[in-house]
Amino acid sequence: MKWFGPLLVAAFLLACSCWIVTAQAASELPAVNLNVGDAGPRQIEDTTERALQRDYAHAWGSMEAALNDNRADILNSDFVGVALDELKDRVNQQQKSGLRTRFIDHGHQLQAIFYSPEGSAVQLRDTAQFEVQYLDGDKIVNSEQRTENYTVVMTAGENRWKVRVLQAIQAQPE
Amino acid sequence: MRRIIQIILTVAVCWFAADVARAADVSAPAHAVAGSDISLPTSGSGSATLYLFGPGTAMKKDVQLGSEIPLSLEYSGRYAAIVNGQQVTFDVAPAPVSEVAFLARPSRVPAATKDVITGTVFLFDKDRNLVTIPTPVKFDLSVDGGQPQSQTIQSKNGVAWIKLDSGRKAGPAQFVAAAGDASVRRVVQETASDPCNLRMHVQQTKDGVAVETDRVRDCAGNPVPDGTIVTFTATSPKGRDTVDARIKKGVAKAELPALQNATLSVASGVVVGNEIHVGGGM
Repeated sequence: MKWFGPLLVAAFLLACSCWIVTAQAASELPAVNLNVGDAGPRQIEDTTERALQRDYAHAWGSMEAALNDNRADILNSDFVGVALDELKDRVNQQQKSGLRTRFIDHGHQLQAIFYSPEGSAVQLRDTAQFEVQYLDGDKIVNSEQRTENYTVVMTAGENRWKVRVLQAIQAQPE
Repeated sequence: MRRIIQIILTVAVCWFAADVARAADVSAPAHAVAGSDISLPTSGSGSATLYLFGPGTAMKKDVQLGSEIPLSLEYSGRYAAIVNGQQVTFDVAPAPVSEVAFLARPSRVPAATKDVITGTVFLFDKDRNLVTIPTPVKFDLSVDGGQPQSQTIQSKNGVAWIKLDSGRKAGPAQFVAAAGDASVRRVVQETASDPCNLRMHVQQTKDGVAVETDRVRDCAGNPVPDGTIVTFTATSPKGRDTVDARIKKGVAKAELPALQNATLSVASGVVVGNEIHVGGGM
């Protein structure tokens, strides 16, 4: 039983390190600034606003991790429908070709533009700023700074909002 | 000295020319639509590696420069093509609408009620890309024997929505949304509203008083569904008696004990009907 004490200490240290890693991952979520002032026809409630902001940031965090590590399994909790299929297709193709995509996220200006009358779907416009690096193995093939406009549809799931459409759009001329 | 400058200039010009030649390796397709064949023009000679990244796509392919690279891209959005370290980005537009996602709420509504039915439509192409160009969406709501409603709304950012009154006639309403060649039907059950002109009549029986309503209908003339509760109340100097009865075959009936100098009233929900005085007095 002499080894029981050190084993307990080791287990405690392992648990602490896991917690630190998880906390670090959580703090690495991209910055999302959500404006709900122009949403209609239904007004977005405060709790819904906070949930959308949190879940959208989480979705981008998952997507960036999935495309960097070629792991499709981490997309399921944040994406659904065509957005999930599209990202899984990309991860599968990256895996087959030995490619990766790395994002260095500089934040998102998110604007709610439609909230369905029955409250189950929200459409948003995201102006995202990031650096994207395309990698062949560990070699960077090319990288660029991008400001990209996305149209986003999120639908209410069991306990969170999930991204159903994430589609880059051409900037409309003013 | 002049000779050295001449050599430097020649080298610089050659360098620039080589760079320009390299820069012309790949160019964006003129007009790309999701699900259609696309060609990526290249210039120069020899072979190179093409990298293509975009929605649902990550590709590495050996290509022959100077020829067109055929592609078929399912997803709309922005793509990056890289050849010899030179990148071009291009957009792939959604194809025309061929799928309609239709949210109709609620599934059951009272008849003749304002702004009670909502329909929201998301427009997709055959590969489920959101079609963001403005597109007319036709909404139709009709019940057999009732007055149909029809409105066309222009979609905005791939979405169109509508709020409609329920019809005066009860029954299963067909709610249809159509855009392009696609249409989707939902059924909204329109039920009778609260009773209107609730009336009862009384008949003396051997043991007391039998009360029965006329046929219970809403203000639009729809029969109120069986099972709806109707409350009969008898108020007399001795106190108050209440009997709840369900509508059965369009009417509600109850049996009350013999009453002396009592006022009978009838109600259903918030609707109050007529009053009848029984048992003499007054």
